[in-house]
Amino acid sequence: MSPEQTSLAFRANSVCALEDSALRAAMKQATDTFGTKRADAFAPVADLEALRDRASAIRDDVLANLPMYVDRFVASATRAGAVVHRAEDAATAREIVRTILADRGARRIVKGKSMVSEEVDLNSHLEAAGMEVVETDLGEYIIQMEGETPSHIIVPAIHKNRRQVGRLFADRLGVPYSDDPQALTKIARKALREKFLSADAGISGANFAATDTGSLVLVTNEGNGRMVTTVPPLHVAILSVEKMLPSLADLPAFLRLLPRSATGQTITSYVSVITGPRKPGDATGAKELHIVLLDNGRTEILAGESRDILKCIRCGACMNVCPVYRTVGGHAYGWTYPGPMGIILTTLLTGMKKSHPLVDASTLCGACVDVCPVRVPLVDLILGLRKRKVREGFADPRERRGMEAFGKAAAKPALFALGQRLAGAFWPLVRALGGKDVAGRMPSPAKTPLRRRLP
Amino acid sequence: MSDAEMERIFLENAATAAAGTHSVSDTGDLLAALGRVVAIDSPVFCPGMTELEKAAAALFPVRAADYAAAAVTVEEVFGAVAETGTIVCSSEGGRAVQAGLLPAHHVAIVRRERIFGTLDDLFAAIAFAPPTNVTLVTGPSRTADIELTLAIGVHGPEKLDIILV
Repeated sequence: MSPEQTSLAFRANSVCALEDSALRAAMKQATDTFGTKRADAFAPVADLEALRDRASAIRDDVLANLPMYVDRFVASATRAGAVVHRAEDAATAREIVRTILADRGARRIVKGKSMVSEEVDLNSHLEAAGMEVVETDLGEYIIQMEGETPSHIIVPAIHKNRRQVGRLFADRLGVPYSDDPQALTKIARKALREKFLSADAGISGANFAATDTGSLVLVTNEGNGRMVTTVPPLHVAILSVEKMLPSLADLPAFLRLLPRSATGQTITSYVSVITGPRKPGDATGAKELHIVLLDNGRTEILAGESRDILKCIRCGACMNVCPVYRTVGGHAYGWTYPGPMGIILTTLLTGMKKSHPLVDASTLCGACVDVCPVRVPLVDLILGLRKRKVREGFADPRERRGMEAFGKAAAKPALFALGQRLAGAFWPLVRALGGKDVAGRMPSPAKTPLRRRLP
Repeated sequence: MSDAEMERIFLENAATAAAGTHSVSDTGDLLAALGRVVAIDSPVFCPGMTELEKAAAALFPVRAADYAAAAVTVEEVFGAVAETGTIVCSSEGGRAVQAGLLPAHHVAIVRRERIFGTLDDLFAAIAFAPPTNVTLVTGPSRTADIELTLAIGVHGPEKLDIILV
């Protein structure tokens, strides 16, 4: 993750994205496929609404008692032999991880996919300390090679097509060009296998943390998550505090919802439940397990009106159905998390000042709310942030004056009709002045307004 | 759910997840099935820790001392879940869970009586005192990171065979 956040340039980023036909084709193909696969995966689930209610209630309970659950997790994980570190902010988390690795002389680090590590910009910090950090998730491997950031929380290289990946591998790895995903996957397997076997340490994230057993749960498909957590002698896991589940026995509900929502699978190829490091008599597990629990503003979010975003289990379903995300892709949002959940998290974690254009990056159509497996009220949360944007003075004052004027005109039919005629007459001018900007792309008003077409 | 029903659902779901499925009745049949599934002269890692593994191990002329050097791992696993067609690998009893991860071919032997009906049944059984590592494995290693096109065998096995005994 590049530390430069570009959320303020959301409009300009979107205009660039709209002009990138390869990006738009990749996004359309991928999000359409996701939609179909998700629907197919949920079709046989008889009591889906009850399942969502249960998962939502468990997440509500976690948020209502978060400090207690975090303390319980720390105690359980410590009892299981892990060393747990609490990180107040991103800089502290980075430094904790660097110190753990440096103290043990770790030079080569293999990494599983972790959005929290992207959030704290971990890689560049470790690289600056002279460590080699290798992303091992295929999508992350591709974008690390390209020097990019993830544009989707589940499929980080969703914006790239097979020909772009083929050219990248040919360039950087010196292999013959291929645009066959299976062949490209084999190339990555070979290159990364050697890294796994020679790594000094593995870094992973976690999808869930069970507070009764101190277990970390990783939901993955490729097997790289299993590699980084079992092959190197040292395992450092970094996760944010809200990933708690009260009990390991709560996991099945989430295993039924997360893979179906994320990739349309009944379950992922692998679900790893890791409880502490290797113990006497064990032949599996890192010799040392360090768990870094990141707050980075979550405690503050928990106390505020947007707390429900912390229920999110990071499935990515909301972005796959979002008309804005599907059109402009993830990079336009300018920070770690894109799509509807990203609008909310980015605004809360980085502050309104750095991200206020994002709160308008939604049509409020509610498609995200329909698919959210844990019933995060995404539209309400975005609306709440829009109100905050106005309250905190980040809204364009012209917008407010315009809306007030519109409100007055719309209350008087004659004035409204005049406005409609004027808009029709001046539209070509508005469009010409708008150029490539949003105004220049607006469709023309109807010749006969709806008002006059109604019986 | 009756045992026969559970077995049928497990095999069906495992096959849907692209695992090879085989159902045998005794040790003799198991060895015959292994002979069909495993390329007999490839380096095989077999821990030889259980009765079934001991019987299986004798079958292979080339034994890999270490799973990292093996082409195939043949092992008896902790259990299975019918709901998802999943096999369950556990570190309990000093087992190397990663042995089923590194080689390109993983052959998992499951005893019929070790099939759990649902994920809830499995987690109810292990949630009280989980071992260091429990890994649920459903089908071979896969990715869809390039154009959401399915590719098999990323970092884990490209082939998973399950033999129900």
